[in-house]
Amino acid sequence: MGRLKPLMVRQPRIFWRKNYIFALAFALLLALPFIFTAHFQHHVMIKVLMFTFLGCAWNIIGGYTGQVALGHAAFFGIGAYTSSLCYIWFGLNPWFGMFLGGILAVAVSAVINYPCFRLHGRYFAIATLALGMIIRLLFTNWRLVGGALGVRLPLLPESLWNFQFHTTKLPYYYIALVLCALIFAILYKIERSKLGFYLRAIKESEEAARSLGIDVAKYKLVAMSISVFFTAMAGTLYAQYILYIDPISLMPLMTSILICVVPVLGGAGTLWGPALGAPILLIAIEYSRAWLGGGGRGIDYMIVGAIMVAIIFRPGGLTSFFQGPRFRQWWRRIRG
Amino acid sequence: MSELFIQVVIEGLLWGAIYALVAVGLSLIWGVMGILNLAHGDFLMLGMFGAYWLAILLGIDPLIGLLIVTPAMFILGLGIYKSLITRIVKAPRLTALLATFGLGIFLRNLAHFLWRADYRMLGDTLVGDRVITVSILGGTNFISVPKLLAAGGSLAATALLYWFIKRTKTGRALQATAMNRQSAALMGIDTERMYMLAYSLGIACVGVAGTLLTNFFIIFPEVGIMFVLFALVAVTIGGFGSIHGALIGGLIIGLIESVGGFVGIPALKQALVFAVFVIVVVLRPRGLFGWAD
Amino acid sequence: MKLLEVKGLTKKFAGLVANDSLDLEIDQGEIVGLIGPNGSGKTTFFNCICGVYPVTKGSVRFEGREITNFPAHKICKGGIARTFQLVNTLMNMTALENVMVGAFCRTTNTNRAREIAEELLEFSGLPEKKDILGSDLTIADKKRLEVARALATKPRLLLLDEAMAGLNPTEQKEAVELIRRIQREGITLLVVEHVMQVIMPLCERLVVLDAGKKIAADVPERIANDERVIKAYLGERYYAKRATLRSE
Repeated sequence: MGRLKPLMVRQPRIFWRKNYIFALAFALLLALPFIFTAHFQHHVMIKVLMFTFLGCAWNIIGGYTGQVALGHAAFFGIGAYTSSLCYIWFGLNPWFGMFLGGILAVAVSAVINYPCFRLHGRYFAIATLALGMIIRLLFTNWRLVGGALGVRLPLLPESLWNFQFHTTKLPYYYIALVLCALIFAILYKIERSKLGFYLRAIKESEEAARSLGIDVAKYKLVAMSISVFFTAMAGTLYAQYILYIDPISLMPLMTSILICVVPVLGGAGTLWGPALGAPILLIAIEYSRAWLGGGGRGIDYMIVGAIMVAIIFRPGGLTSFFQGPRFRQWWRRIRG
Repeated sequence: MSELFIQVVIEGLLWGAIYALVAVGLSLIWGVMGILNLAHGDFLMLGMFGAYWLAILLGIDPLIGLLIVTPAMFILGLGIYKSLITRIVKAPRLTALLATFGLGIFLRNLAHFLWRADYRMLGDTLVGDRVITVSILGGTNFISVPKLLAAGGSLAATALLYWFIKRTKTGRALQATAMNRQSAALMGIDTERMYMLAYSLGIACVGVAGTLLTNFFIIFPEVGIMFVLFALVAVTIGGFGSIHGALIGGLIIGLIESVGGFVGIPALKQALVFAVFVIVVVLRPRGLFGWAD
Repeated sequence: MKLLEVKGLTKKFAGLVANDSLDLEIDQGEIVGLIGPNGSGKTTFFNCICGVYPVTKGSVRFEGREITNFPAHKICKGGIARTFQLVNTLMNMTALENVMVGAFCRTTNTNRAREIAEELLEFSGLPEKKDILGSDLTIADKKRLEVARALATKPRLLLLDEAMAGLNPTEQKEAVELIRRIQREGITLLVVEHVMQVIMPLCERLVVLDAGKKIAADVPERIANDERVIKAYLGERYYAKRATLRSE
């Protein structure tokens, strides 16, 4: 594995600087549940991590490859359903169900998304949106999987193996954190590999990409498959966390939108984008719901809508603030 | 059987005409400005609530309310254009797509916040829930008057818009702007004003559709989503930017929904519409009668 | 065996014949020029060879292998690289990254791809521009970058589509030198060009297209005096005038 040595694409110093920040951030995240200890705060943190993970997964197809998919909630749902039903029907452990869900999501996406790869920009976005709606409608009317009523997971004694915890939310937080670390590591590798370069080239110009020997449809399929695999994994995490799944709360249009807006707000196609976008969006959503209660319903998504409109003022997202020459100058100055 | 089938077709065409008017506004905005107004359904929702509150608070029947809601929606369109859309038009395409979607989400949830998620319905209107009986091919069929009125009104509004675009000077300027903004500007057309006009007209269209819908349809904040998605499908089938394409697309959607629900599983009729959409968009991304793009 | 062998290539667009049964043979190591007035079908011909458009009729063989209607990415893998008439730079990637994308055609190792890319940026005279974004390069640099990027895919045949259009005379001279250097590396070139003064001394053979048909194929000196070529380029009237001038 000679390739595992650090690949310093631009400047070696940036690599170490980034890693230093990465370690520091990770340590802070490990300690966070002990700084904010309330139940609700833990819930918000789990949601933030889950959407960071989902945002990273979306980023592979939507950010790096530039194919704005608006139907990811369907794959999130497929993941949740697969692991839950496999447990209920066959007694399959949810950890294996998680991978099975990912594989099933890849299979479904290959069949339904492949024809859409010919479409560009908005057409692709709308087609994936429609496909997401179809899958939700199918689940809502599919009696075998519980229809609109959904599925309740049987309660089991809490353990890591059972993937259920009742007395505290902390284990879910750490599981989500490990998943995030995993996807960050994978994206970090992808960014510096042939795959990453190819995906970015496809985003810039499909015509040029083809002329350079890139099989555009194949690489879009690869990107989409990785993306929906992780999206489905997050679905299992969600199902095990809530222990109740139904199409209306699992696969609404808003979930697809949120999965897309998290990375776009942070900066589409950047490693750190989802990690910046998720806290802002999810904290706003969860706290507005908690503070305003039932009467405040609507405020949560009004914020999301307003943020989506506001992105036009900074199409590069929040990370673009850290990429300008002025920021670099300032950064160099504080580092002495 | 055939009697029932004719009933289903009638139902499909009536709904189709309403979808068509929503689609026509969407198509006009796309054709002239090149943006997909995903907030369209939520403007429809606002139009419905407008007509509803006029009826509840001031006792103005939707038929008269039409004369108030339509210009009000036109003015709302102007305001939204001036404050937001001018910027959205200049943004990168996909950011623009998300922004119009965001605008819709904002409006929908604003309605949620102001008026709750309850389903509302107007009780006694001038048209009421009258039904006329017609006999087609020997069978007896029923046509709901409020639906017929909505369909007829939609067709009339579409025809008016079509006439405006094809026959008047301003309409031709709109067409020219749709074909090529730069060239149109060189010809002395104030393209900024054309954009404003196209957007406001598009919103006025859903004002008409929304008001006519309040005569028989439930009113709630999320009502617009299905309409905008169906309109999107209609526009795709008809070809982005084409007015008569949107009309035909709308009628086709109405028929697919109604006949599909009759022949297949009723609960999946919407899924069927989306499936048709995906097939059309994959096989023929430009639709059947596109003007531009 | 010819390196590239095109036989009877015809391309129709909804009734319009853009290429009318064209034949072309290229030997290993040559520089062949493809010229013709605007709209004569040069770029269409390129796109047919490269698999951008499906061919209506005819065949393309490369190194004896049938490659007609292969998809563009397979053509590139097979050893034919091309540049675009309107530059197709990957705007949000640096010059180095642009070339690396090409280099990944033959390697999966990022470090190796970077080495190849750096070598080629040096070769094409852009070493100090390697960290500049594609969108910030001048048009001349973008054109050179496209050549470097195409070379990174290790082609045996390079198709250049108007590599010199829009360049000033100094830049054109540099581009000519670059093309000669590429030839010295053993790469065969097919060059579409508008700028006649440049292409005449550069090419060993010229092929002239007019309205989709091949009207002449010869060494540059004879092409310059070919009646049909002058007619095609300058129009019937000019040709007639020139003829009368000469007879006086």
